Amino acid sequence: MKNIVRAFVIALTLTGAVASAHTVKTNSENVKPTLLAGFPTPMCPPNDPNACGMGGNK
Amino acid sequence: MNGTLITNSIAIGEIILCVVALSCLLLRKQGRQYKVLCLLIGFRGLFDVALLPLYMFGGYGIEKHLAYRLYFYGFWSGYAIESLLGLWLIYSVFNLAMAPLQGLKKLGRLVFCWAAGISLAVALFSALTPHLTQMSFIVNFVSQLERTQSVLTLCLLLFVTFAIRPMGLTFSSRVFGVSLGLGMQATSQLVSAAWTAHFQGMYTTINAATGIASCVILLLWTTYFALPEPKRRIVVLPTTSPFLRWNQISQALGDEPGFVAVGGIPPELFAPAELEIMRRASIKMADQPKVVMPQSQTA
Repeated sequence: MKNIVRAFVIALTLTGAVASAHTVKTNSENVKPTLLAGFPTPMCPPNDPNACGMGGNK
Repeated sequence: MNGTLITNSIAIGEIILCVVALSCLLLRKQGRQYKVLCLLIGFRGLFDVALLPLYMFGGYGIEKHLAYRLYFYGFWSGYAIESLLGLWLIYSVFNLAMAPLQGLKKLGRLVFCWAAGISLAVALFSALTPHLTQMSFIVNFVSQLERTQSVLTLCLLLFVTFAIRPMGLTFSSRVFGVSLGLGMQATSQLVSAAWTAHFQGMYTTINAATGIASCVILLLWTTYFALPEPKRRIVVLPTTSPFLRWNQISQALGDEPGFVAVGGIPPELFAPAELEIMRRASIKMADQPKVVMPQSQTA
């Protein structure tokens, strides 16, 4: 049990490190933070003509 | 089942899970000990409730451009506040974990404050780019803050996992549960930040995936607080333990030093009783025959 938890934590950390390295390599203008929330992250500028697709489904 | 329906269900599900997790924390009377976690979950719940009408009725009851603008500013302001609450939560979890080792706790707090201060400063200055716009400032500041906060969180999780025995904790302890949830959140944020570069729009796979991850973390915290916590073990460390040694060293660090007078003291500073003791002692020493040390010892 102890080893499984430790392996899981190490896997989490390594995944985070790889993702962070990938983010740094990618052009910073393309990278946008994502809030870990149930609501979608608004990824377009506030004056987007399509309102980022909001209400498009209605 | 289309993407919008999934996203809407996740959004409503998160609000319900926030209420359940917060109720569980308060019913278990953990509100005082985990007050920052309560604040974070409560804030997220309120933030979700405020955004829900904009999100659900944007383009239907409310003009969609206005709804999106309000949603955009509300979302990013809430995110910045949540990032700061996240930093505070890491600090409070570290304090709870290190409660038995007061010296190391003091040292760790000092290191943490410096790391958090530098993170904030780096996030702020990296957001000040030459062609500064409102959008770029918010996004750069928040992304940098999020990245440093995620790294700090993963460091905390690694520390709690590998130093769990000297802290008297087990993997069923709530401190570990909260750290694990925070670590999962940090990893998901880092992965999704790398992934978002390929997406544009609101109803994307990445948004659904982050929503599901957020709900899983809330469920994890609810489970840890719903189940009874095992008692913290008595911390027994071998005398050679580096934790014990560093704890002793850290406890001595920063203490006010004592002072010793080495010379040039006027006799008026002493009390008459002290002067009398010194006088008698010097008479006694003068009366004693001088001990001649052997040559080998004096050399």
